[in-house]
Amino acid sequence: MESVTAQVIARARVGAWIERLMAEAEVIAPVLAHGGDEVFAAIQSPDEVLWEFANPVHPPKQFLLPQTDPVVAIRRAGNGYALEPIVDERRRILLNIRSCDVTGLAFLRRVHAADLPDDSYLRRAAAVTVVCLACSQPCPLGFCVCSAAGPFAREGYDVQLSDMGDRLLAEPGSERGEELLSAAGDLFRPATSEELARRHDLEEQAKRLFGEETCHFASAMRRVSTGRVADELWASMTDWCLECGACNFVCPTCYCFSVKDRRDGDGWLRCRTWDSCQYPAFTREASGHNPREERKDRIKRRFFHKVSAQYFQRDGVVGCVGCGRCIEVCLGTTDMPAVVAAIRKGEWHG
Amino acid sequence: MAPILPLHGAAPTQAKASIVTTVDAVCTTCPFCACGCGIYLQAEDGKLSGVGPSRHHPISQSRVCARGWGAHEAPAWGERLTEPLVRRAGGLTPVTWEEALDAATTSLGAVQAAGKAVGVLGSARATNEENYLVARLARGALGTGDLDSCLRSTYLPLARGIARGSGGRAPWGRLADIEGSEVVIVFDGDLASSHPRAAFAVMRAVARGARLLTVSCLRTQLARLAALHVPVSPGGQHEVVSGLVASVAEAGGAEESVPEGWAVEPPAALAEEVREAGRWYAEAERASLLVAPEAVMGNSGEAFGAALALLSRMSGHLGRPGSVLLPLPVRWNLRGACEMGVGPDVLPGGGPLDDAAALERLAEVWGGEPATGAGRDAAAMIGTVGGLVVVADDPPSALRDGRAAVQGLAELDCLVVLDAFMTPTVRAAHVVLPIASHAENEGTCTSADGRVQRVRPCAPPPGSARPGWQVLAGLSAGLGRAFDFASPGGVLDEIRRVVPAYERLDERALDEVWGDVVAPQSDGRPIECPARFGDPPRASGDASHLLALDGVFDWGSDPLVAFAPTLSRDFISRRKLFSGGLVEMSGEDAKALGVRPGWPVRIKSLHGEVTLPVVVRREVERGLLLVPFAFRDQVGDVLGGHDIVPVQVTRPEG
Repeated sequence: MESVTAQVIARARVGAWIERLMAEAEVIAPVLAHGGDEVFAAIQSPDEVLWEFANPVHPPKQFLLPQTDPVVAIRRAGNGYALEPIVDERRRILLNIRSCDVTGLAFLRRVHAADLPDDSYLRRAAAVTVVCLACSQPCPLGFCVCSAAGPFAREGYDVQLSDMGDRLLAEPGSERGEELLSAAGDLFRPATSEELARRHDLEEQAKRLFGEETCHFASAMRRVSTGRVADELWASMTDWCLECGACNFVCPTCYCFSVKDRRDGDGWLRCRTWDSCQYPAFTREASGHNPREERKDRIKRRFFHKVSAQYFQRDGVVGCVGCGRCIEVCLGTTDMPAVVAAIRKGEWHG
Repeated sequence: MAPILPLHGAAPTQAKASIVTTVDAVCTTCPFCACGCGIYLQAEDGKLSGVGPSRHHPISQSRVCARGWGAHEAPAWGERLTEPLVRRAGGLTPVTWEEALDAATTSLGAVQAAGKAVGVLGSARATNEENYLVARLARGALGTGDLDSCLRSTYLPLARGIARGSGGRAPWGRLADIEGSEVVIVFDGDLASSHPRAAFAVMRAVARGARLLTVSCLRTQLARLAALHVPVSPGGQHEVVSGLVASVAEAGGAEESVPEGWAVEPPAALAEEVREAGRWYAEAERASLLVAPEAVMGNSGEAFGAALALLSRMSGHLGRPGSVLLPLPVRWNLRGACEMGVGPDVLPGGGPLDDAAALERLAEVWGGEPATGAGRDAAAMIGTVGGLVVVADDPPSALRDGRAAVQGLAELDCLVVLDAFMTPTVRAAHVVLPIASHAENEGTCTSADGRVQRVRPCAPPPGSARPGWQVLAGLSAGLGRAFDFASPGGVLDEIRRVVPAYERLDERALDEVWGDVVAPQSDGRPIECPARFGDPPRASGDASHLLALDGVFDWGSDPLVAFAPTLSRDFISRRKLFSGGLVEMSGEDAKALGVRPGWPVRIKSLHGEVTLPVVVRREVERGLLLVPFAFRDQVGDVLGGHDIVPVQVTRPEG
């Protein structure tokens, strides 16, 4: 097959394209929920899809790592038990997800493919097609430029859309993306050189709108990784955290979980459930001993995982995509930028 | 047409309908504390699967606490009641709904025919509609004032005191207003864990430069953020309120004279701090007063509430936009339950039993005179009545004397329980009527700051369980007083006719946005000053320490936490480690006694003695011993029915 280059679709024809996508897969896109919130949900009609929206506070991670995820069915069998893996390979298209979330999904894929590959995650992820909608301006709390995660995605998407008003420019980012565009046939046409230039300008303009923001991850990483953050500093932050766990749950790169069995008819479902490293019981051992009994050890652990050189070497990136969600959901003041600033300055003021 | 995704993933099985969403997200109200946060409950294939935050909810504003993130767990993982049960030959046996309702009404009728009383318990865990029907069942169908909920006594006296001290006002101000306060005064229990959204509002006010005064017997998380923390012994909070009143009067900010005996100089050790805090409060344009449920232990809640209202009124903060006076109900819909009239001495609407206008409204709407007698409270009912109907409440877990509750329930001639979960009360029941949990229910609830919000179903109730309002209607019909409701909306319509504050609730706001706020109105009642405070217990001589319970409620015993795998972990491990109870004390006290964590100490009061292992807790002040509410029965004999007692503590020999 000839490789597909950037394509363009007229705004008026986008609905028809989405309808075609819906015939082939569950299409998940930002929609307006009852209650006025932008949420990612499976759409029933192309008209529901939002094109100008505040990025939903609940990231699309929930479709790859659900809060409750049955992974094994357990049934009684004779004198023992029969175990059967539960595989979710539903075809899904994540439409209009932002570059921060695209980068987060790429991060999660790497984590789950490394060391002991996580079959459950990888099979589900393999059935998901990612269509990114690039950001033409910064969102109020985002700092994706600091994490190399935006405003346009660099990796992890199958197709990236740029909104040009009366048309959308679509760039394939994978073989599957090329297939997706070529299968749409006459709905798309190849982009002109002017359109490609405009897409370049859009990205540059979006970056400029972030202003003179400086990335402080590097200096924070140096301090965290070399033990130069005083215990008292972590301790002083703990009074400004209510240990809700929301920073973990909405983080596009957090993946820690617990395993619990739920009754299901005569048997059980073994479920992977979200867990938070900020919860006291997260590391409590069966004996009652807890290596991270103190709050300061838990908050330290979170940021060590996110920004230490040790994890940077393993993952190749910091564990933050700059989406700004932890700022928005924090039931306290210990969000990523605030703590990174405290680490860098060696001071915490609430 | 060529397939768009030829290679990847399983093909959708059938037509479009099967491709389209299997995940539903329903906006509803968080079912735990009384902050009233909005959440999205999610279900996959009809099974509850998760929780999502709401950016636009006026209270939660994108935030959800640890409990809220687990709101889907208990209904999906817990031990659910799925079919009606009747006790036969000692065991609970599945029966049809008709048989169960018939058994319930026949038994209750027989109890009444035998000349014994029948009581009813509503609950902070039930909706406004359910609680209203509970009140109507008691004062209407059963004709009794024996009507209560286990947690009412932790909230209603405070709210009533505030009303008496402020000309009939309900607690006022919104949680969001706290964030803009210049001065915040918190009578803390531990809001950071009991009411995280309220604690966050305080935290945010501090971050924006507000001066925070905390008054507590614990150096809590909020106390550590405070500009001024006044340590008091339990029961001593009112000395600070009286001191603040004196200070406001002295600062000249008082807009009226102080009633005799209400301005009292605080104990010398605290005088300067309290005077300073009083000046802050008097001078602030916007100021917040928050009261944790624990603050009333050892105090008269009503006098405490009246004193707070007086303080607020004197300094001009009463009813001022942006100023707040909120007691925080310990559990979800406690405020709503009280406003629906679930209490031995209130009518629906919260008014007193002799409120002629309210009685007239009720008689007209109910088609018969309501019972106007004052009944017994929950604790007094159990052990004296012959029959009891319990709606989503659990006396053994929630009442101060859990052992007496277990015993009292076992002695009942007839115990009818409506609940979604298996609880100790359900285990003792004669008739069990399974109802929908918060995740399957429809109705409204009322938050600490008076926001009435929808509860929406996200999944079908399990088995043959039914919505609580339907079951209550069935029960009442069986007792000869049928309710004519086709939906919970019909119940709400009736609530609006009999509860004045709910009359102007905007249906559109309930449906299209996140609820509507009940406006605190003054009913022009004259301002009253109830009886003043007694002296708090003090340690002296050999009885050198004070023993008190920590908290007025144990989340670990609540089914929504106990059955939630993520939320219950801390409570379970604590019970495992300290199955016989524990006592918390400061490191200094432990050192002075020569004991280390885990070592036993003997605690002796006038009433009895007990030996318990020590847990050192840095928040506890010297001279204070605290026993978590969950372990209250282990120190029942030492407390002898009091909230706080002076005790002698020794290290056992050998």
